[in-house]
Amino acid sequence: MALLPARPRRRNLAPLWLLSPAGLVLALVTLVPIGFLVFTSFTDYNQRSLFTGAYSSVGVAQYSQLLASGAFWASLVRTVLFTAAMVAGSVVLGMGVSHLLTRLGRAWRYAVTVVLIVAWAMPNVASSLVWNWLFQPGYGVVNWALDQLRIFGDTTSLNWTQDPARAYVVIWLLIVWQAVPFIALTLNAAETQVPHEHLEAARMDGASEVTVYRRITLQHLRPTLLLVTILSVIWDYNVFNQIWLVSRGGPGDATSTLGVFTYKTAFVGFRVGQGAAISVVTTLLLLALTAVYIRNLLRSGEDL
Amino acid sequence: MWIFPVYWMVNTAFKPRPEVMTPTPHFVPAHPTLANFVKAVTQEQFLTNLVNSVIVVAATVVVSIVLGIFAAAALSRFRFRGRRTIMVVILAVQMLPGTALLIPMFVMFNNLDLLGTYAALVLAYVANVLPFSIWVMRGFFVTIPREIEEAAQLDGASTWRTLVSVLFPLVAPGVIATSIFAFIAAWNDYLFAYTFMQDQSRYTLPVWLASFTNPYTGTDFGGQMAASVLFSLPVVVFFLIIQRNLVSGMSAGAVKG
Repeated sequence: MALLPARPRRRNLAPLWLLSPAGLVLALVTLVPIGFLVFTSFTDYNQRSLFTGAYSSVGVAQYSQLLASGAFWASLVRTVLFTAAMVAGSVVLGMGVSHLLTRLGRAWRYAVTVVLIVAWAMPNVASSLVWNWLFQPGYGVVNWALDQLRIFGDTTSLNWTQDPARAYVVIWLLIVWQAVPFIALTLNAAETQVPHEHLEAARMDGASEVTVYRRITLQHLRPTLLLVTILSVIWDYNVFNQIWLVSRGGPGDATSTLGVFTYKTAFVGFRVGQGAAISVVTTLLLLALTAVYIRNLLRSGEDL
Repeated sequence: MWIFPVYWMVNTAFKPRPEVMTPTPHFVPAHPTLANFVKAVTQEQFLTNLVNSVIVVAATVVVSIVLGIFAAAALSRFRFRGRRTIMVVILAVQMLPGTALLIPMFVMFNNLDLLGTYAALVLAYVANVLPFSIWVMRGFFVTIPREIEEAAQLDGASTWRTLVSVLFPLVAPGVIATSIFAFIAAWNDYLFAYTFMQDQSRYTLPVWLASFTNPYTGTDFGGQMAASVLFSLPVVVFFLIIQRNLVSGMSAGAVKG
């Protein structure tokens, strides 16, 4: 409340009682589970433990087992590469769409914005199902369209999720399709703030459109671009639903990124202790990214 | 390109089965029908699972907003030690991978015999929703000029009264926007509901949707697309309502891309 110097005591106590209900609940539902996660990662908690409640401490065995596991390293590499591919795709396309939006007339811009928001708003469970249907072997519209092109031969019964490369293509398209609207609209909000005089001046000096974009627009977009990119990295690194619903991490383990790999370990194989260890490692890697994000958020003028 | 998948979902939803399952796609339904929608909503578990979703989502939104609004007020109207740390923790919690909460909560709820209950899901959703609710609402509090509350205090209003009668009404639009963000996050969740609610009658709508098949004829794409339309519709409408707030909600991870 107003920080009247005459009431110093109120100033000290009010935030405490305002914050404590939320603080207690948050501690209960986030900090306690995180602590428990770390604890579980040092035990042999498994399917039997879920029924009997019995488990024993195994020290760092889960971690040494993890670091020695080829499947874990493969999953980590897969996650990093796939995240890079998704982020690169969505950021580049997002920049393109954002720029396109600035060049459209009012009516078109409104129409494109609505389309983007609708695509963005689709719950990812629904969009994953739509994707399965689009890429359905036999009756899927994508196979039909590819068949019409007559470049790849007869593609009508092509099964997308039974081949690792094709499974990646399907998931990549799905993730990028849903990420581009957010990136494009966020960047566009920043792009409309670029001072018009700067752009005009550069054009008067005979700079080409490409040079104007690179030298002026991009300079203004840099902070936003950075935030959007880091945020995309964090989200794409965490993607679970779309992969699970489209390919179940398959064929084999081909599309099992860390999220799917952890899930399979903890809830399909019920090696809960091992799953907890993977989750701790995943979280630590993510924490590094989050730290970068928060630093940049602070630098971009967000007042905490 | 961007509208086609949405169009295809809607288009398929209105087609009778013979038109859905054809080698050559029909780009416009020749005989539009509502049969798929009727099939979807008359499915055995639809109503039960809809009720589950509504209860869990409503409880999540109410708990997160009520707790969040006071925390947001504290974090925006006062300066005190540790405030920055709290803000950073709130933001960091928001970025946790799903499994980091899923695994320990699963084990804890298993031990407490809470798996399959509404309480388990609400607790998990509050963990996901409360941090960004605080963050987003704080953003709205910050925009209220200090002079307004100073005036209220000079008129003799207590801290509590200033908060409830002066500040809360002013952030009402922010509260509505935040509630919508919270609704969307809880309504869309698949991972926690799928893992915690191990019985069909306990599923929420996303899990119902993902397991939507017709036991007699295999995957019924017409019905599945109709169900997807019904499930997505409230979210799309809400997105269009709060489109102006979307970008500001983003930085806190309120709506994931």
